[in-house]
Amino acid sequence: MNQSGAESFLGLCLSSLSISVEGLPRTTVISTGQHILIEGEDEDNPYVARVIRLFGDESGKQKKAVVQWFVRVSEVPPSKLKLLGREPHPQEIFYYQGRSCDDEVNAESILRPVQVIVGPLGVQTDLTALCQTSTTHTVTSAEAGLDSDDEVVMKKSRHAAAGSRTPRSKQKSRSSTRTPRKTPNKKVKVQTDAFLRWSAPVVSEISLPVSSLCEQVAPGTPRTPRHATPSIPSRSLPARQPANVLEEARTRLHVSSVPESLPCREQEFQDIYSFVESKIIDGTGGCMYISGVPGTGKTATVHEVMRCLQHAADVDEIPPFHFIEINGMKMTDPHQAYVQILQKLTGQKATADHAAALLEKRFSNAAPRKESTVLLVDELDLLWTRKQNVMYNLFDWPTRRHARLVVLTIANTMDLPERIMINRVASRLGLTRMSFQPYSFKQLQQIITSRLNKVKAFEEDALQLVSRKVAALSGDARRCLDICRRATEICEHSSADPSATGLVGMSHVMEALNEMFSSAYITAIKCASLQEQLFLRAVIAEFRRLGLEEATFQQVFVQHQALCRVEGLQPISVSEGLAVCQRLGACRLLLLEPSRLGVLQRIRLNVSQDDVLYALKAD
Amino acid sequence: MQAVYLLLGKRNCFHKLTLILIYILQLWEHYGYCSQKQSLFRHLLELLKRTAVHGESNSVLIVGPRGAGKTMLLKCVLRDLLEEKEAQKNLLQVHLNGLLQTDDRIALKEITRQLHLENVVGDKVFGSFAENLAFLLEALKKGDRSSSRPVLFVLDEFDLFAHHKNQTLLYNLFDVSQSAQAPIAVVGVTCRLDVLELLEKRVKSRFSHRQIHLLSNLTFTEYLERVQTQLCLPDDFPDSKFAQDWNDSIQTLCEDKSVEEVLQRHFNSSKDFRSMHMLLMLCLSRVSVAKPAIKPADLLEASRLCFADAKANMLHGLSILELCLIIAMKHLNDVYEGEPFNLQMVHNEFKKFLQRKSNSMYNFDQPVIMKAFEHLQQLELIRPADGSSAKTQREYQLMRLMLDHSQIMEALQKYPQCPTDIKQWAMSAFG
Repeated sequence: MNQSGAESFLGLCLSSLSISVEGLPRTTVISTGQHILIEGEDEDNPYVARVIRLFGDESGKQKKAVVQWFVRVSEVPPSKLKLLGREPHPQEIFYYQGRSCDDEVNAESILRPVQVIVGPLGVQTDLTALCQTSTTHTVTSAEAGLDSDDEVVMKKSRHAAAGSRTPRSKQKSRSSTRTPRKTPNKKVKVQTDAFLRWSAPVVSEISLPVSSLCEQVAPGTPRTPRHATPSIPSRSLPARQPANVLEEARTRLHVSSVPESLPCREQEFQDIYSFVESKIIDGTGGCMYISGVPGTGKTATVHEVMRCLQHAADVDEIPPFHFIEINGMKMTDPHQAYVQILQKLTGQKATADHAAALLEKRFSNAAPRKESTVLLVDELDLLWTRKQNVMYNLFDWPTRRHARLVVLTIANTMDLPERIMINRVASRLGLTRMSFQPYSFKQLQQIITSRLNKVKAFEEDALQLVSRKVAALSGDARRCLDICRRATEICEHSSADPSATGLVGMSHVMEALNEMFSSAYITAIKCASLQEQLFLRAVIAEFRRLGLEEATFQQVFVQHQALCRVEGLQPISVSEGLAVCQRLGACRLLLLEPSRLGVLQRIRLNVSQDDVLYALKAD
Repeated sequence: MQAVYLLLGKRNCFHKLTLILIYILQLWEHYGYCSQKQSLFRHLLELLKRTAVHGESNSVLIVGPRGAGKTMLLKCVLRDLLEEKEAQKNLLQVHLNGLLQTDDRIALKEITRQLHLENVVGDKVFGSFAENLAFLLEALKKGDRSSSRPVLFVLDEFDLFAHHKNQTLLYNLFDVSQSAQAPIAVVGVTCRLDVLELLEKRVKSRFSHRQIHLLSNLTFTEYLERVQTQLCLPDDFPDSKFAQDWNDSIQTLCEDKSVEEVLQRHFNSSKDFRSMHMLLMLCLSRVSVAKPAIKPADLLEASRLCFADAKANMLHGLSILELCLIIAMKHLNDVYEGEPFNLQMVHNEFKKFLQRKSNSMYNFDQPVIMKAFEHLQQLELIRPADGSSAKTQREYQLMRLMLDHSQIMEALQKYPQCPTDIKQWAMSAFG
């Protein structure tokens, strides 16, 4: 910046500049004080500026202009636009005073002059380039009803522009990569003619042929995305809706579908609800620890509580509150918790240390009209650090007088506070604990029935089988729903035969259960190649000989050669034997030492000997 | 391709060979799925179709031994899926490989890059690890079932992702697949049968437990048919007369007794299609202008190459001295039942052999023997025994022999101009 400033002093000052607009036989002349359009990212909406000074550098090749920038309505962020206090005209422009933009532009990036009409309030320009009279007409009619004064608008717009953007730095990099454009259409031609009439008399002409611009083409540096919005592109065709009963059932049974109510967790719901509600009403803080094995509805229940409380706050039954949620698994480092809390509370971005300091200040200082905050910390065990300061802070803040913070923590193990927390942390967590028991088969059945909500897709027995099976294994509701979903698919496939009722029956559920819970080891051994099967037999034979559950490859290989001879096969070479062994190791039928040990690597079985023998005998 | 053939093929026989290779390799790549895998194929296809068309989130694992056709299955399914316009327009794909994305940081950058999210410029992904994770999760969270484009995540070598710290990536992917966010399908491909045991319980709970086990219960006749179809030229081969001759010759080849024996041996060793392709490739490479067909002898030769023992081949390149040292080590192994040895012991053993001989043509100095010993170590024919510290003098460092006796004997048989007395020494029961 400094350098270019110095150049401008050295350079030859010009009082006017002529540029040629493509497709026009004549050159357009620009003089100081005139408003111009400058090429930007958006072809249809170029930047607007007023020329303050024109100059060329020593060599006389590069012509530059010092400009005063203006911003369009569309460039002002919506949050700042509100400060204006009135509806801006779509073609209105605002005075820009941000320091972040270079006010020097190359002459070749100037598109053409433009007429700006100063309205009663601010500066305005006609950009659509209709005929001059009609423009004036539009502007005056738009401005007629406005009553705020000029000074205010200018100030506000300055404010708006200051923190919002850096369009000129972007524009600068872009203009350097500019390529000559195609012939403008007829409309532009008419318009430029109109402005030529308006432009100041020519004093000295320096014409810049467009073709010479190509020499200055340099590779542009890509922009750093600052305000990238996280989003997945939306689909071009809408998603298809479920067409039949089974598809409908499948949609309802997907874990992601939010149920109308949460059955079987009424007691827990009530406890959490009253705990949080009382804290919010009293304006105090507190901690609660919720534990339970995966898939027992911990997070779902808390979310349900929050939905109800939010509703209560909306109808003014309880004071309004903030709800924020963090998850130990969804951050890369425990200290990121501070960053995420701060961002969700205030929208600020900060480093972990800074965020911790800001939060500390926020929760320890008194402030008028402060809302309560409810913080849900999921997967608490992941926030463990050696000094445990993240956990310590999370549980310490609610005890502060002015904090008004309620912390709900969720983890899988019941004795987590005793096991991993040091005394001062565990003591601050307090004794408000709750544990979610795994679902019993009756509860699971009720959950499925309530989700299906009168969609008749399952036979009663089939439902009972699923819930009993899952309850016996884990009591995980997710598993239960997944099995039911798979069963509907199997049912759909088998519905081709006429005897089927169209409902999901016992056989379908059995098939789904088998698919999900049976181990593939035995089938894998049955499907292995002959040499692989022989090798497994050799392993067992060697184990029996040694009386140990471990042998080196060399030892097993001797047995393998013997077995080959017994079976009447050509003995295999060591390399081939090793390859067979590696294949079995890759699918974890065998456990192996690293393969660089070659013939010395030790071998163990990953399946029981009985299973291997059973699988081999069955052929 | 036909045009290429007309331009070059007729004039130059050499190009015809190239063309055969191109056609056959194309056949291998686009081999349709065998009929017995149809049910698996349909299962996977419908699963992915539901994600692409209905916006239903899913997760599935494809498990099977190496070379069973897991990736091929997925490829065929995707090819069929993308033929449908509705799926093709909507589906976004992200392909990850556990061997390339070795930690979550790299994996996240790769996902962001492949999805072309807004923090990507050119090929660079901006932001720290934490920011990238937050950005991606936010993006997925904003989506919903009916309006966002479904994303297909393919995780090759799935088991390696389970070794990442806290399994953060897997947790988050499975969590998205089980909550009302952008629809995603997570397809894991692995050869480990025990892959579910690797998952942490909260990650496991979020996985739908759908597993597709791809195990081949191929019989030998099917294997033989497969070999034949993979070698035959397709109907669209430009020179139909040549194709006919070629296919006839393949037919006779497959009916040959010795060929069948060789293939049987390969089939016994492994049902892996990749090793079969390796064998067939070696055969194809022996086809020449003068001999435009595969002969049984080619297959025998290819099979010999495939089954050759790597270590025994290395022994052929050793000097007589190095071979003598290996034999001495073998005798030591016999005497001490596989206990480790050091250079001094080997040298003594060698000296004992020399003393029994009158002539001293193998008399070498200690440094020469040391050098030979080191060379053997470099070839990894011997390696230091565990626990022997590097501080001990090199002469006394304990070593183990990495060869089996059968390999040594085999190598001696084929060693060019091996002196008879050394052969005898190797065969004798005691050194």
